[in-house]
Amino acid sequence: MKPGLVYLTGGSLISLLLGIIVTIILPARDPAALGPTALARPYTELELRGRAVYKREGCHYCHTQQVRAPEANRAMVHQAGDIGPESVPGDYYYQSPVFWGTSRQGPDLTHVASREGIGKNEGWHALHFKNPRAVSPGSVMPSFDYLSPGDLEALIAYMLTLE
Amino acid sequence: MLSTESGSASRRFFYSALFWLLLPGLMGLTLATLLYVPAVYDRLPLDLKPYLSFGRLRPAHVNLMIYGWLSQAYAAAILFILPRITRAQLFSERLAHANWWLWNLMLVGAAVTLPAGLTQGREYAELIWPLDLLLIANWVLLAINIWGTFARRQEPKVYISLWSFMAATLVFVGVYAVGNKIWDPSGAYRGMNDSIVNYFFVHNLFNAWFTTAGLGLALYLLPKLVDQPLYSHRLGLWGLWSVWTGQHHQLNSPAPDWLEYLTVVFSILAAVPTIAFMVNFFMTMRGRWQRALDDVALRFLATGALFWALTCVQGLAQSFRTFSMQVHLTNWVIGHSHLAFVVDYSFWAFAAAYLMVPVLVRRPLYSRTLAEWHYWLTTVGMGIFMVSLWIAGLIQGQNWQTNSVPFLETVRSMSPYFALRLVGGLMAAGGVLCFAYNLWQTARRQASFVAVAPTPAAALTRGGGR
Ligand code: HEC
Repeated sequence: MKPGLVYLTGGSLISLLLGIIVTIILPARDPAALGPTALARPYTELELRGRAVYKREGCHYCHTQQVRAPEANRAMVHQAGDIGPESVPGDYYYQSPVFWGTSRQGPDLTHVASREGIGKNEGWHALHFKNPRAVSPGSVMPSFDYLSPGDLEALIAYMLTLE
Repeated sequence: MLSTESGSASRRFFYSALFWLLLPGLMGLTLATLLYVPAVYDRLPLDLKPYLSFGRLRPAHVNLMIYGWLSQAYAAAILFILPRITRAQLFSERLAHANWWLWNLMLVGAAVTLPAGLTQGREYAELIWPLDLLLIANWVLLAINIWGTFARRQEPKVYISLWSFMAATLVFVGVYAVGNKIWDPSGAYRGMNDSIVNYFFVHNLFNAWFTTAGLGLALYLLPKLVDQPLYSHRLGLWGLWSVWTGQHHQLNSPAPDWLEYLTVVFSILAAVPTIAFMVNFFMTMRGRWQRALDDVALRFLATGALFWALTCVQGLAQSFRTFSMQVHLTNWVIGHSHLAFVVDYSFWAFAAAYLMVPVLVRRPLYSRTLAEWHYWLTTVGMGIFMVSLWIAGLIQGQNWQTNSVPFLETVRSMSPYFALRLVGGLMAAGGVLCFAYNLWQTARRQASFVAVAPTPAAALTRGGGR
């Protein structure tokens, strides 16, 4: 074989392998990710269905589920600091896929169930999903009035796990 | 169905790429409208609502743009370039046609499943398992044609573009398989690792495929369009070595700190290939800028290269924690991704189409005026689009950090920027329509044109190249 070809193939494969080792395999062995935290808990059947609805409807394109250190307990959704405590790897222990998200058209939802007035209020969620602009004028969230009653119930059950 | 006429597969890929530009383009306009006037959505009939829901349309828009429009345009250009820089027949024209059918089958699958809510829920890796498999098969078929043509080349000098297409397909198949957990139909890992692998994939989709193959494309187009050999072939090779910067999408995130610091280092190293390319670009353009004013194809290429430098500068800035805290998760990021996908890579694909399609259909371009409209509408439109999102993102980031503005206020304050973004998007769409109509008419006209002679690699480099 020509040396050029050897360099190219070898270099590409070594580079790919190194990338996988350093940015995937090593972090997977990081002690912080090896066990669940107090916030993590296994999901019920209904909550899992709620997660599936969340995934299907693409809520994670507008909502993150990760509170970053500099904003933790400080940033404001409704009241200063109600974004909640910083997220750590163990919080996601039982989740697959995770919904960290990359865009916040809407507020972070990591701890939405702990927010005053909203959190555990199933009625609020139901109303908000059916018509977000009736509850939050100026919201850009789509109305989810097309969800079946079963899907809606499951989604709300999932929302309540986000403590 | 599986023609053996040389160039026929490349031609087909160009025309289907065009279709996959228009459909997700329309989806993008819909998304921009939904953010600016969300009340429109409330008035839709209930049966239609699920399919036009923001969270379903967005992945459809993104997937069809990257695997449909841009990747097919790349494939078309690669199939065009291969025989010309190797002075050999394409390894198999039939295989390329089979590739085309399978590829479009996959895209039809994506266009149906994503709006229907069938998704793996991981950004850029949404396609469900059967489509994942089809996608890998498509890249393998393309790779067979690239490596196969390499093996039978007549031209002793291997031009840089050939190396980059070979590396890009090889590495991308690996990146896709790992990133999408191809051995598991759920496609998702568990806990934190899921997110880490996801952004390993997202970034290396750019690095391994769009940048590596894209630089190969740009370095073929550049000497051809300026009619002057590439300044340095050796420098071009430096551009090949992409690095593993995926984690800079997750700065300040729950992922381990050491990984974040490491990616900052990788991101700084990524300046090397960027600088290598830019030096090559400016030195090859030396004394030929007038041509970029006269020739739309070269102008698209050069504009794309300049914006590429800006993408890399932004990318570097974004990979520092403090700046990331300011802009990450805001609308700034949407501006940045359109900078990379539209005004760099897509601009290079436009340049390729203007050079190659007339050769492939053996007719001169239908209208230069339309091509001018395409350039100006798209450039100015995307300029408005990106700048409004960058400003919007800075304002959002600032408001979030004051810890004293209710979130809903910050949502409402986006409205004027969303309006501007929609205007910019509409202008760019107008440009794209000019492009599509122009290529369509070009193919329909009476034949009156002699095919351009193949370009041996030697002509692309100085004195036959080193
Ligand atoms: C187009 C972007 C978008 C999509 C998609 C979206 N949302 Fe929202 N969401 C928002 C915005 C903006 C707000 C803030 C205004 C409001 O309360 O409606 C919000 C608010 C919320 C809130 C209230 C949070 C709080 O603390 O006040 C919840 C809960 C919520 N969304 C859940 C969801 C779920 C579940 C889905 C998917 C079924 C979803 N959202 C899809 C944009 C979006």
